[in-house]
Amino acid sequence: MLFISNFVLGIYNIKFIHMKRSIVIFIIAAMVLITTGFWILSPGAIGDTMEYLHFGIILLIVLFALFIGYKRLKSEKRGEPAEDELSKKVLQKTAAWSYYISLYIWVAMIYIKDRIVMDTEIMLGTGILAMAVTFAVCWLVFNFRGIRNE
Amino acid sequence: MNNRIREFRARYNLTQDDLALKVGVRRETIVFLEKGKYNPSLKLAHDISVVFNVKIEEIFLFDDPAPST
Repeated sequence: MLFISNFVLGIYNIKFIHMKRSIVIFIIAAMVLITTGFWILSPGAIGDTMEYLHFGIILLIVLFALFIGYKRLKSEKRGEPAEDELSKKVLQKTAAWSYYISLYIWVAMIYIKDRIVMDTEIMLGTGILAMAVTFAVCWLVFNFRGIRNE
Repeated sequence: MNNRIREFRARYNLTQDDLALKVGVRRETIVFLEKGKYNPSLKLAHDISVVFNVKIEEIFLFDDPAPST
């Protein structure tokens, strides 16, 4: 048993030590896809336009995660670090901005909830998806625009 | 702040990939540096100047005058 665990740990250290985060991204994307699949396959799951919209946004977010994972893997294959000072700064700025915008999203959701009849689960789901979309958009903006004088 | 990374890279016949590998960053970071869309940390600026064997201020050009002492 000890031999097997040592063997597995050895392979892990050799091959996956630099790919850990990319693999985590792919695993999370797969889990989201599988969970969404269960939701879609459950009877009467997708009925109205709002649910189609949610499904589309989830797919977009999964595609975004796969794009980031692919970029990191490509960097690792070229012998470059998966993360460097620029990518870390982009991530920090993205996190800060998306948090700030998310506060306004939830204020807007509360405002909407008082005026439109909406299930709590739908409201929470929409808010969480809006947060994820905000994060993706902020990342794209900062990643392609760059970060100057900071 | 401007920089002469592209000029020095051409002088030393280095590609963006080569420079990225030498200083331990991704190629995109070198692209952003050359376009002036990113100001490097002091460590990265130092590493780049070591690769080109010149002083930091020969590669990175500051628009503002130096503060008086």
